[in-house]
Amino acid sequence: MNHIDLLGKIIEISHSNLELSSRINSILNIISQDMQFEEVIVYTFDKDKRLTCRFVNQKSALFKILNQYRCHIGEGIVGSVAQKRSPQYFTIKNVSPRFGCLFYPELDGLLENYRTFSFLPLSDDSYLYGVLVLCSASKEAVQDPEKILLSILSREVGGILRSFELIVSSKKRISELAMLSELGKVLISNVEPYELLKNLALIIAKSLNASFVTIKLEYALLKLDSQRYTYGIVDASVKDYIEQIEESAIRLLRVVSLKNCAPDQLESFLKYSLYSAPIASKNRVLGTITICGEKTTQPHSLEEDGLYIINTIASYISSGLENTLLNTRLRDVVRELTDAQKRLIEQEKFRSLGEMTANIAHEIKNPLVIIGGFAKRLARKMQHDRPTEDKYITIILKEVERLETILNEILNYVKESPTIAETCNINDFLDEILYLLSTGISWEQVNIAKDFDAALPPIVCDSQQLKQVFINILMNAYEAMHGLGKISIKTKRVSYNNQPFVSISITDTGGGINPEVIDNVFNPFFTTKERGTGLGLAISNKIVRNHNGYIDVENTIGKGVTFIVYLPLKNNMKEEFL
Amino acid sequence: MKNVKILVVDDEENIRLLFKEELEEEGYEVEVASNGYDALEKLKKSRFDVVIMDIKMPGMDGIQALNEIKNANKDQPVILCSAYGEFKQDFSSWASDGYIVKSADTGELKQTIRNILNL
Repeated sequence: MNHIDLLGKIIEISHSNLELSSRINSILNIISQDMQFEEVIVYTFDKDKRLTCRFVNQKSALFKILNQYRCHIGEGIVGSVAQKRSPQYFTIKNVSPRFGCLFYPELDGLLENYRTFSFLPLSDDSYLYGVLVLCSASKEAVQDPEKILLSILSREVGGILRSFELIVSSKKRISELAMLSELGKVLISNVEPYELLKNLALIIAKSLNASFVTIKLEYALLKLDSQRYTYGIVDASVKDYIEQIEESAIRLLRVVSLKNCAPDQLESFLKYSLYSAPIASKNRVLGTITICGEKTTQPHSLEEDGLYIINTIASYISSGLENTLLNTRLRDVVRELTDAQKRLIEQEKFRSLGEMTANIAHEIKNPLVIIGGFAKRLARKMQHDRPTEDKYITIILKEVERLETILNEILNYVKESPTIAETCNINDFLDEILYLLSTGISWEQVNIAKDFDAALPPIVCDSQQLKQVFINILMNAYEAMHGLGKISIKTKRVSYNNQPFVSISITDTGGGINPEVIDNVFNPFFTTKERGTGLGLAISNKIVRNHNGYIDVENTIGKGVTFIVYLPLKNNMKEEFL
Repeated sequence: MKNVKILVVDDEENIRLLFKEELEEEGYEVEVASNGYDALEKLKKSRFDVVIMDIKMPGMDGIQALNEIKNANKDQPVILCSAYGEFKQDFSSWASDGYIVKSADTGELKQTIRNILNL
């Protein structure tokens, strides 16, 4: 094949759509076959800027030996060609046994098989991409026209290497930008901090192909369940170093790798690289981000670019994260204030309402006592042979009694009753109430399902008052279901505002409450029953609040209602005994 | 029981009447007063074994009257009586000898009187 055809073929390959490494490999094979070079080897720079065998013709015998060694620019023949950027040609008579940079004993016997050795720099006008090495067993010398051809070919291969470099780095850039844009979207999405950490860690781990990513917050103002989110699997061999490296990152206020904070031999021993960076805003450290990746020889791997990437990420997410944290904090504060205001208004309403109610009750009570008292006297004085009159008087007395009960309930609600603190096992306590209620005949059609947390610790409470609460809720459930259905009672330990609480949820199958009035259920005198004072839940709510607890309602229209009573595990109720 | 005299103090005429009739039926001798001043006047003139005293009254209320009575004679038994139970926890601090909530059922009133008289 003449040189023009060869050149044409190579240019065709070089401009084809083949993948870059296959283009180079094909070109090397063509050079080997058509120009009678048994060895066609391309050295490129690795991550340490050392020349390493990267591509080779298919039949190469030397690759196995040469790829074990790497040389710096200036070292050996390969290194010096790279440094001078000019080709060198040798014959077997004048070649030095120092083929690369060192004395390779394995080469001794092999080099004698070849007659000529050619070394050409792979470069364009400004940049060197590697060195091309050719060995021939048949040529006694490389002729000038061949040298010209080889120099053209080396330029072509250099061009491919340059594209290779450009594509890899732009791919990296694009994925980096894609990741940053994903992170940006998450940062402005205004989700809860924990959700935010989760999304950030997920995106970073996926984009960098990391073994795991862990983000830790150092922001005590927010009462979060967890200050850390980890995505991926933490290998046992690096687990112990995470906190260590995070601490160093905060202390030094810069990116650190495991090298900076662990003994030297450890770094090379581990098969992971670990980097941690502080997430810092203007004047404080918000937390740390730590990324772990498996070590590979791939270019632009996490190991190679870790410091740069993690730095970019940390500075990118810091301001967004700070905004989210401040936002959340602000929202918490606003919520607390709104709650406090609501409570205040409620208290104020109760107080005036209480005074008014007490007055009205008092005014009604006296006439009632008079009516009832004289009706009783009348009943006693009556001859018992007058059944009609007897019946009327009985009705009067019954109604007086009912009115008195209502008045007592109202006055009960209005007055502040002191609480008696005692230790009480909620499960036993509920069992007792359920036993009392469910033994009644009318409860026969009610299916009671209990799901009690047996490990529930005892709490301090006023059991008499709480009994009233649970009886109220259970009776409401019973009435909502018209005595036919299922009541589920569940107890468990929960965290509410970061404090340990016991929750008791009572769910009925009574069809739920009209959502228009659901907000009123705790208001005094609000009732949906035909005959009700509307005080049951109001009193219950007040009792639970006196216990530093809360009642929540979950309403599922068409299904039923769940009342959840939260009682604090550690109650600072004063021990008062009457 | 003829010697046992009771004074019922209440601003409501019909309450006075009810209590008077109920207690007379028990065999007590009953007099009535319509407010604190009236009661103090009656107590100056004659001796009563028990005073039933309403709390909320115009003029001198029951607590004031109780204090006056106890100042004059700390051994004079007085039962406080009110339409609502709110003050029930406080009655001992007022040095009264009993506290009842007014009810159409006068059983509690009668029992409290018997207790004081050791009957």
